Amino acid sequence: MFDIIFRNITQRKLRTGLTVFGIALGIFAVIVMGGMSEHFNQTFDKSISLTADKIRVFPEIGFGGGNLNDSKAREVKRVAGVADAYGVLQAALDPESLGFFGGDAVIGVEPEKFPSLLKDTKLEEGRFLAFGDGYRTVLGSSVAREFNLKAGDEIQIKSKRVQRTSSITHARNFTVVGVMEYTGSFFDNGVLIPLNIAQKFYDRGDTVSFILAVPDPNVDAEDLSKRIELNVEKIKTFSPEQLRKQIEQSLIVFTLITISAAVLAAIIGGLSVMNTMLMSVSERTKEFGLMKALGAQTQDILYMTMGEAAIMGVMGGICGIIGGGALVYYLNDFLASKGTVLFTVTPRLLVISIVFSTLLGVLSGLYPAYRAAKMSPMEALRYE
Amino acid sequence: MNEPILRVRGLSKTYMQGKIPVHALRDVSFDVSKGEFLSIVGPSGSGKSTFLSMIGLLDKPTNGSVFIDGIEVTGATDSDAPRIRREKIGFVFQHFNLIPTLSALENVDLAMRFARVPKTRRKERAIELLNKMGLSDRINHKPSELSGGEQQRVAIARAMANKPAIILADEPTGEVDTKTRDMIVELLRGLSENGQTILIVTHDTAVSSRTKRVIRMLDGMIESDTKVEGY
Repeated sequence: MFDIIFRNITQRKLRTGLTVFGIALGIFAVIVMGGMSEHFNQTFDKSISLTADKIRVFPEIGFGGGNLNDSKAREVKRVAGVADAYGVLQAALDPESLGFFGGDAVIGVEPEKFPSLLKDTKLEEGRFLAFGDGYRTVLGSSVAREFNLKAGDEIQIKSKRVQRTSSITHARNFTVVGVMEYTGSFFDNGVLIPLNIAQKFYDRGDTVSFILAVPDPNVDAEDLSKRIELNVEKIKTFSPEQLRKQIEQSLIVFTLITISAAVLAAIIGGLSVMNTMLMSVSERTKEFGLMKALGAQTQDILYMTMGEAAIMGVMGGICGIIGGGALVYYLNDFLASKGTVLFTVTPRLLVISIVFSTLLGVLSGLYPAYRAAKMSPMEALRYE
Repeated sequence: MNEPILRVRGLSKTYMQGKIPVHALRDVSFDVSKGEFLSIVGPSGSGKSTFLSMIGLLDKPTNGSVFIDGIEVTGATDSDAPRIRREKIGFVFQHFNLIPTLSALENVDLAMRFARVPKTRRKERAIELLNKMGLSDRINHKPSELSGGEQQRVAIARAMANKPAIILADEPTGEVDTKTRDMIVELLRGLSENGQTILIVTHDTAVSSRTKRVIRMLDGMIESDTKVEGY
């Protein structure tokens, strides 16, 4: 029966082409929007997994509102079950041109803590920072690509300081001593510098943005997180699980918005399949009547008409994936030169797209198929 | 006398035209033996096409019964009707009703697909039938590439594909010239001589005069049922 289905589809090339195009546009949107959502999910996942073993300690007022003194790290470290604790200072690389998705960030950490911060991340070239390094830096892979920098080159870092009613921007060149491998995390957009240099450059005294607490082996991070809060004043902790939940909640909203837009586009494509199939069924009324007179069962007609709709769905899905994949590939390539990547087409997204387009075709073909199958052969044969 | 392959008993059909009942068939009864070549004639509105639809399970009678091969088919459910149609009945229509996108071979093959005949067997049977119809060089041609007579021969081959108990032909020569008409009638007559039961509905006396038996209908009733002399 498949040969007849295929023949019916290819018989009306322009109409089939337009219908497939409608579905393809929808799936194109699913790939592009879904690819963006997948990328953010993966980036957060990878970023969290790199620091999943650590508890984040913030000033009680909020993430960026208060000041956390570096000495707090020593207090945190004294809590039973904490193996190590160190401060991290985070700031925008260029405060005057913040990127839409956050942009590149300067991360100040004591050089000897980098192995703990970055876990198993390796260097693509050069070396990590060492004790006593001054205005030197290790770059994330995306930053290095964005500015086309290698070990030995220099990168300009800017800091904005508010003085009375105006703000003054300071700029300083840092020597690149190493470039990290691609991690797929926020560290790819990181510019790592020694903590003491960061505090001096940003005029932050001995304050840090947050503290990372490393639990002793076999210590439950959730329990330890609560213990730190009880033992150290004016701080708020986020266990890896809490942080994951918080990020997931904000990602769900983003994912819902992007996927809803894509699904809406795909449903419009589905309506074009339904329209085409209704026209096709109407045109072939007599043909279906004849088939019934020849002994076709209801399920034969259903199979034939829904098969056509499903194949158009699959064809639209494949075209949409190819089109969306190509756009995402070229956009990523372009954006990579600007230091960011926005899309990740995962196998999961491909499977969802193809299943969704097929389902869309089948569901859109359901009503026309039902109409065809329920026709009285007598009336269908008389139809002109 | 052969055992009747078709038995019609008290068949009636009444349509409602608004609130007015229209009696298309009134208490029609007769038997048809295996291998009979029979025509039903009558003016327009006499009920002959309605009658054909009842036998072909394309429509349901108001009253009465139709037995094909000893099985009552009038009570068949919607799910049983397709099976009975493909096993017992072959249709030939006035307008040929071939599927335009399929070749002659595929049109014949289609009837057997619904009967779930294996692919290789279908192809063999379709080629055999088309050869029998004198269309061996036209098997891969689409209906638009065939003459009216050729199309009707493809339709006859299709009607015979599942070896039906009876072939119902509704004005099979209505769309062809006289030469082709004679050829089609001879073809059907030949099939009947080989044991195929054929029932033709026609206006054309030149066709009915060449059948073995003629049933004349008028106002939904059988007016006469005669054997043709010299058949």
